[in-house]
Order: sequence, then structure tokens, then C-alpha cells
Amino acid sequence: MTRRPSAKIAAYVGVAALTLLAGLSLGRPELVAVAAPLAVLVVAGLAGARDPEVDAEVRVDRERALVGDQVTVSLDLRAATRVERLELLLVVPPGMAGPDGGPGGSRLAPRRAGGGPGGSRLAPRRAGGGTRTWAVAVSLAAGEERTLDVPVTCHRWGAYWLGDVHLRAHDRFRLFTWERHLDGHAPLKVFPVPDALRALVSPFETQVSTGSHVAASRGDGIEFADLRPFLPGDRPRSINWRATARRGTLMVNQRHPERATDVVLFLDSFLDVRGAAGSTLDQAVGAAASLASAYLRQRDRVGLVSFGGFVQWLQPGSGQAALYRLLDTLMETQVFATAAWKGIRHLPPRTLPAKALIVALTPLVDERGVAALFDLLARGYDLAVVDISPLTPAAPAGGGEWGELAQRLWALERETLRHRYQRLGAAVVEWTEATTLQQVLLEVEACRRHAGLAPG
Amino acid sequence: MPAPRRARTRLSCGLAATAVAAGLAAAPLAAVPGRLRPALAWLAALGLVLAAAAALRLGSLLGPALVVLVAEHAVVAVRAGARVDAAAPLVGAGLLLYAELASWAREANPRVRDERAVLTTRAAVVAASTLAAVVVGALVLLAAALPAGEGLARLAVGVVATTATLALVAVVARPTATRAPPG
Repeated sequence: MTRRPSAKIAAYVGVAALTLLAGLSLGRPELVAVAAPLAVLVVAGLAGARDPEVDAEVRVDRERALVGDQVTVSLDLRAATRVERLELLLVVPPGMAGPDGGPGGSRLAPRRAGGGPGGSRLAPRRAGGGTRTWAVAVSLAAGEERTLDVPVTCHRWGAYWLGDVHLRAHDRFRLFTWERHLDGHAPLKVFPVPDALRALVSPFETQVSTGSHVAASRGDGIEFADLRPFLPGDRPRSINWRATARRGTLMVNQRHPERATDVVLFLDSFLDVRGAAGSTLDQAVGAAASLASAYLRQRDRVGLVSFGGFVQWLQPGSGQAALYRLLDTLMETQVFATAAWKGIRHLPPRTLPAKALIVALTPLVDERGVAALFDLLARGYDLAVVDISPLTPAAPAGGGEWGELAQRLWALERETLRHRYQRLGAAVVEWTEATTLQQVLLEVEACRRHAGLAPG
Repeated sequence: MPAPRRARTRLSCGLAATAVAAGLAAAPLAAVPGRLRPALAWLAALGLVLAAAAALRLGSLLGPALVVLVAEHAVVAVRAGARVDAAAPLVGAGLLLYAELASWAREANPRVRDERAVLTTRAAVVAASTLAAVVVGALVLLAAALPAGEGLARLAVGVVATTATLALVAVVARPTATRAPPG
């Protein structure tokens, strides 16, 4: 621990020295009597000051939580020597909150490095707000062990490191302080709560594995597709006796098989536009988690491409393990500022399987993300674009008349861009703050049906 | 303890320190008659302002506040002539009490929740220090009254005490020792 003298020790010693000198020169014992207590207190403090021996550890009661959950951060303290006053300051990263009305609530300067959606995250990210702290002062007897539990509420998704603790010990007379910083490593991943989605975007083509989507092709299934004349090898149970009676020749039913599909969630993470309603990246990550959960529930394979300054991908997979892998990858999604041009060719080919449905979640603000979507369309992928609008129609544009004009121009540009995608065959729907993800998905589906892209 | 109560702790310590300082500043005025009183009143006012500022806002003014308050009492002591002021131990204890309360007010961070045991111990230490200060001051005055300590011997004791205090200044002012945290 680093020892520091307090400010008052200098004041006490200085005043005592001056007063003693004055008493000596003036020959007044009263001045010595006035100065003596200050000097004696400093001497007593110096004689009694011992480096405190305190050990501290930080634990979190779990490693995974959902947004809105409360987790308990435990500070285990062990003192080998008596500590008169020990201040503990736990840094609560942005996106999390300490106990209500508790000692927390002090706002430090926003931290850039190591910040989660701001603060101490596994991956550095642009700080969205200030770092909050929770602090308490305790006294410990020699050999005492104590555990302090701090309830922390998770307000935002992300991967966090909890355990940034500052310790400050004081001696009996508060003449010295000893400080130490613990950079603990208690990881916590906070997942967004997935929306309950009743309807999803149906793929244009399906894969060969069995699933929940009615395929456009014909084969064994439930949904009736067509009639055809009987051929050798057809199963007798497929014969449609009514049609056979009408036509005078054996006719069999053809059906649509139920197939699974590959869905790739394409997350544009080049830029994060933050507004009063939230951030576009938050919306995109929440939507991706909801979509992944919903598609995996119906036995589809889901992959992820986080396309930004830092490109991450996951090949399509199915099952609970794939969901956790995908959520873990989503938690590390971040805006990484770079001017380097990124294209689809940077992705491994297996990341974007043929016939896969690509659901793009993008604010359509970065040229590289926009170009990548055009590239995907040119390569013939089945693409649905959810345009997470950074525009807030309810909020007035800053900058007065010119600001309003600029906002209108921007809105027109975005509309033109959406029309360009639609002309190339992609379904594009703007997701404004007034609509839910489910509404947006229904609109995408309607748009695809209208354009003749989706089955049904 | 909720934050407003912690803020109250800070405020009450600051106000108590200011009250003690007011008492210390006002006491010499009664002992000094005549033309010196207005000048001493100005000095008292300055001391009070500095003391209040140190207790309530600017902790760095603690030293100057103590110096001004001591200077006021030094004037009274010099004017007293051969008579020794028997209230000097109380003044010393008062100064210590003021300084401790002012420091406590500066320490009491509303963001930090102090356990009750910490507050109780702190209050006990301040009270005990004040009582000990009275005893120490009284002992000093008693030692000064001893007949054995006349002339050169008393001067030698004073020089030694002052030198020791200055040595203490040097000890305190040395660079802080830093030890790497274990592990």
C-alpha cells in the first residue's frame, strides 16, 4: 500500500513549530501549552502508524445475467492488523447501477479505455456515460474477516469486468492514509432479454435438413402442393382417390416438405448513433439476440456476422450451444473506429452459406456497411434489411432551420437508399422508435410477399 | 446511512468546528481593554473567516486559520506581563478540537457510507485527544512553574523542544515511502 501524509499533519507540525518558537523567543509558557497538544498528537500518530495489512478479493455470484437482473458483488476482506478506518470504493461500470440510495452515486469522469458500454469491459468501447462508484468505510480488528455484499443492477448488455476496487486505510488520528488499487477479474456477461417473437421472416429457399419452414420444393411433408399422375414407386397412401375417380387415372398428392434454413444475422457495427431513445447498436444487438433465439427455437441454423471496424463471425449452427456462442460473440460487439475499407470478401466463404437468409440490422449510415449489403444482393443472397433509424421524428433537429433542413435531406437520402435496395430485390423496412421488432418483422415479411420473394 | 444524513455529518462537523473557532477568536477580546481591542477584533474576524472556510470549504486553510487564532492568544499572553494565563491549556485543547472537527468535516465524504462503529470510534478519539490536550497543556504550565527550571536550563529545554518539533517537520516533509502491494 502507498502511504501518504494527510494535509492536517503539515498544518499541525507547522503551527506547533511556529508557536513553540514564539513561546521560546517571547518567554511565554502559555504558547508552549497551546502548541504542545498539536505536537504531541503528531508524535503519537507517527509512533503508532503501522502499515495496515489488508487483503481483499472480489467475487460475483454468477457469470451470466440478463438485463434487469440484480447480481451481488462480494468484497472479501481479511485484516492481519487493526485498521481504524478502511474506505472501499467499488467502481460500477456504466451500464450497471449500485444500490438505490446507497453510497454509490458518485460519478467519475467517463473512462475511455477498458470501458464496457463505457467502463470496465472486456473489450474497450466508446464511453457512453460516466463511471459510477459505490463506497463504504469500515473498521477491522486484527485477524478479522468480513464480506461486504453489494447488489448491482444490470441496465445494459455487455461483457464486464467487475472488481475495480480502491482501498484507502486511515490511522487512528487520521494523519496518514494508505492506498491500494485492486484490479480484480470477476467477469460478468449481461445478455439482452430476447423479445418474444411470434412471426419471423421466412426464407426464400431452405436447406435439406428438416425444420419448421414449408419449402417451395416438393417432397414428403404436410402442406399440400399439387397433384400428379401416379408413377411406379409412389406410395399407395399418397394416392388421391377423389382426383383419381374424377380423372379416371391414378393421381397422387404432392406435398411441401418442412425444412430448416440457414439464417445469418448481419450486424453493421461500423457506427453507433446515440440519441435520446437509445443507441442503434443497442437496438441491433437486442434484435439479433431475439432473432437468434427465435430462429434457433424452430431448429434453424443461425450464424452471425458483426461487420464493422472489427469483423467477427460465427458459422451457422443450431441448438442451445450455438445460441450461447452467438450471445457471447454479440456481447463483444463494439464500435471500433477505423478508416480501412472492409468488404464482404474479408469474410470466410462458409460464413455465408448458399441459400441462406441474411437479416441485416443496420443504421445505414456507414458507406462500407451500405456497400456490403449491395455486394450481398449482387451475389444473389436472400436479403432482408432492418434499417434501424437514427432519426427521431419526435425530437426537433438541433441547429434551427438549417438543422431541420439537413435532417429532412438526410431522411430523403435514406429513403432513396432504401428504394435502391428494394429495386434490387431486398426487403427494407425502417425501424423507428415507435415500432417494435415484431411489427418490423411483419412489415418485412409483407414487403417480401408483395415483391414475390417470400413463399406463401 | 442515506446520503443526506452523511451530508449532515459533514455540515454538523463543519458548523461545530466553526463554533469552537468563534469561541477561540472571541475569548481574547474580553481580556484586552483599550485601543488594542479593535485591532484584535479584526484579527479575530480574520481568524474566524479562515477557520470557517477551512472547516466548511477549503481544507488547505487549516494551517493559516490556526496561526491567526494562536497569534491572537499570543498578543493577549504578551500583554499579560508576568502573569501566566491559566486558561492556556483550554485554548490548546480548543485549537485541537477545532482542527480535528474541521478535518473530520473535510473527511466526511457524502459518497462514502461510514459504519456506525467508525463514527463512534472517531468521536471517541477526538474527545480523548481534547481531554489529553488539556492535561498536556496543564502539565506544561506546571513544568513552567517549577522553580528548578529557571534561566538557562529552561531555555535549554525550550530549545530542545523546538528543535525536536522542527525535526518532526523534516520527518513529515520527507518523500512518502511507497511499498508495492503484496501479490
